[in-house]
Amino acid sequence: MTGYLGSYATLGLLLVASVLIFVGAFTANRLLSPADPAEPAGKRATYESGVDPVGGDWAQMQIRYYVYAYLYVLFAVEAVFLFPWAVIFDRPGFGATTVVEMAIFVAVLALGILYAWRKKILDWT
Amino acid sequence: MTNIALAATVTTGEAVTFWILAPLALLGAIGMVVARNAVHSALWLVLTMLCLGVFYVVQAGPFIGMVQIIVYTGAIMMLFLFVLMLVGRDASDSLIETLRGQRVAAVLVGLGFAGLVGTLVARAVGDTTAVGLEAANQNGNVQGIAALLFTNYVFAFEATSALLITAAVGAMVLAHIHKPKSERLGQPETMRLRFRPGNYPAPKPGPGVYATSDSVATPGRLPDGTLTQRSVPEILPTRELSPRETAPKGTEK
Amino acid sequence: MTTPAVYLAQDPTLADFGHDPWWISLIKVVAAFVFAVLATLLGVWFERRVVGFMQVRPGPNQVGPFGLLQTLADGLKMAFKEDILPKGADKVVYFFAPTISVICAVTALAVIPFGPMVSMFGHQTPLQVTDVSVAVLVILAASSMGIYGIVLGGWASGSTYPLLGGLRSSAQMISYEVAMGLSIVAVFMTAGTMSTSGIVAAQAGSDRSASLGGFEFFAPGWYAILLLPSFIIYFISAVGETNRAPFDLPEAESELVAGFMTEYSSLKFALFMLAEYVNMVTVSAVATTLFLGGWRAPWPISIWDGANSGWFGLIWFFAKVILLVFVFVWLRGTLPRLRYDQFMRLGWRVLLPINLVWILALAGIRVLQKENSDAVRWGIIGGALLVILLITLAWPDRRKQPPRPLQEQVNARPQGSFPLPPMDLVVPPSPRARRGVAQRQPANVGGGAPDVVDTTSTEEKED
Repeated sequence: MTGYLGSYATLGLLLVASVLIFVGAFTANRLLSPADPAEPAGKRATYESGVDPVGGDWAQMQIRYYVYAYLYVLFAVEAVFLFPWAVIFDRPGFGATTVVEMAIFVAVLALGILYAWRKKILDWT
Repeated sequence: MTNIALAATVTTGEAVTFWILAPLALLGAIGMVVARNAVHSALWLVLTMLCLGVFYVVQAGPFIGMVQIIVYTGAIMMLFLFVLMLVGRDASDSLIETLRGQRVAAVLVGLGFAGLVGTLVARAVGDTTAVGLEAANQNGNVQGIAALLFTNYVFAFEATSALLITAAVGAMVLAHIHKPKSERLGQPETMRLRFRPGNYPAPKPGPGVYATSDSVATPGRLPDGTLTQRSVPEILPTRELSPRETAPKGTEK
Repeated sequence: MTTPAVYLAQDPTLADFGHDPWWISLIKVVAAFVFAVLATLLGVWFERRVVGFMQVRPGPNQVGPFGLLQTLADGLKMAFKEDILPKGADKVVYFFAPTISVICAVTALAVIPFGPMVSMFGHQTPLQVTDVSVAVLVILAASSMGIYGIVLGGWASGSTYPLLGGLRSSAQMISYEVAMGLSIVAVFMTAGTMSTSGIVAAQAGSDRSASLGGFEFFAPGWYAILLLPSFIIYFISAVGETNRAPFDLPEAESELVAGFMTEYSSLKFALFMLAEYVNMVTVSAVATTLFLGGWRAPWPISIWDGANSGWFGLIWFFAKVILLVFVFVWLRGTLPRLRYDQFMRLGWRVLLPINLVWILALAGIRVLQKENSDAVRWGIIGGALLVILLITLAWPDRRKQPPRPLQEQVNARPQGSFPLPPMDLVVPPSPRARRGVAQRQPANVGGGAPDVVDTTSTEEKED
């Protein structure tokens, strides 16, 4: 196996090993846990601090989470562009031009967060 | 043909990975379409995207593989998941077509798109002479990508930021509701609503705790002396102690 | 990446990876899992003992010497517990959520360098499960996949508390993931590589020593010193990313019971706990690798040549990791939990902008050092000044409005507001105050008490 694929194959081996470990752990849990547990009423009811569950078993989340998830996508993409840039920007042949290119990119995205800031979207009320 | 030329360079490890993960990726894609629950659907898609990420890595593109996992599997699918949770977990699709002829149109457009992508890939692969991985990854995979990104494709790169920011501002404008102060309910309004006729303002009565019983299953008394069942949680009355539990435990002396 | 020739003998490079025989790979993988479990067992004990020490109580001290086996006992107990599946749960997702958490946590551990090249059963092999050219991205990918474990665990429980906890947690983690990813950029910029072993080598390569007035000064090339802002941001976001106090909002006991773990029991609960502690150790190990010189000995010890060879690397590595874990525990023992809005504000309004500005400033500085032409140099300085000027001009001015007089504020209240006491109300002295005064009188003074009553009740008599 070549060196390149070999490094990643170890990660694959890790995944296989973890699957085996989980199978073993859950089998052990099944064998060790009580075989015939009691089933009192309300045992499997949704937990709401000891009072009866009110309403359905899911709550609708607020749309605010969506905005944050979107900002995450935005900055994840920005980070992904920053990574290769960070590795090469001070190598011969790149230099100031590359820095300016990235500065423009970051500035445009910074406009987005500035907009969100001024519009009070980043206020978690 | 190119395919044969490519196949000659496939190593065993690559082939094994492909034959394990390709069915998984396909399964994920089919599962996404078939799944009844929207969140399950998204999770199947996550599986497909993870497999794609591994494919990129196996094909000597480690950077793009990790980007696939970080951006698509991590960020974008998380966004999808949030949107689906916005709808609620029990909201399954209804099978009634709201737009007539939608399916036929979808099949036609889908076929057209597949044809377009197919010819595009065929032409791109057919006309290009492969320089080989060694030439492309000469100075390292990440460095090679960066070198191209910040020289040949710099305008596409800057345009990406403009595209991202447009979409972000759009999402924020649509999703953000800024309530002006005048629309907020003040304390007097809230109190008036709470005490309006027909609304029971106080919390539920507590369970009755008397000299003869301190069980929470004892109903409380209302001011007029009647017992109220409102004070007893629903699951409680069905619980009864077994004889073993009520038997003396040998500790009382 | 400049690596001095001295280090080459021990320093693993990327070429050293992927050549292990399969059984050495297997040993390393199993060792990673054993390390994960041990880290959890000892980590919980360590945390409880240290927090106990800080709160002047003993902490666990009954099971085993110094209570060392307490966590093991608790863990075994978990395995003997019944696994309760709540009625509203989504069975499959409920099962997979904790396993996703653990797998992601351990995967990140796999690319951490624990030490230099060592001889293992006659094979020269690096003390690291595996390293790839994009190792740090593997860590980031693992932590972004780890969010799924939490958000799915919360969703699949089919209950309100876990759902809210899971959502809060994922919003928190994605916010701090952004800050974390950007703080690593500065490391890439300085090291010029993304492989973890390469970054450790690059830090050793940037050690400087200078002699001044006969004294030999040594400046370690640790990026924690060179890139201090990045290190601080990384550490803060690591605390947020691992849901640890003071950022433990998803598990805020007083609000959300136990957050996404509320409905979990038995082994699955244990797996979530495992993932949490492994994550804490992993981010500490990543911080050690990226910012604190990795497995290399700290300065006074590094004078001894043998310190950086062979299995000794493990000692320095673990010492640094334990130090960082101690800081985690210290934070938990010291700081109260933040409110959610304060927390999000810190992430998006403080850490993120500072990070972006710092990255560009660093890029500017580094290019300034390299460029020889004056035009470019002045161009960069001018650009920086222009940006600062623009920021100053665009800064929202927040002038405080003069406080309105009290009567005006009272008049501005809407009809039917809660009645206010008269503005010129004179409050009678509290009866408790009188008692306080009475008790302060010497006990043996006869007839003192009426005096006291007289002096304090004059105002009451006037009413």
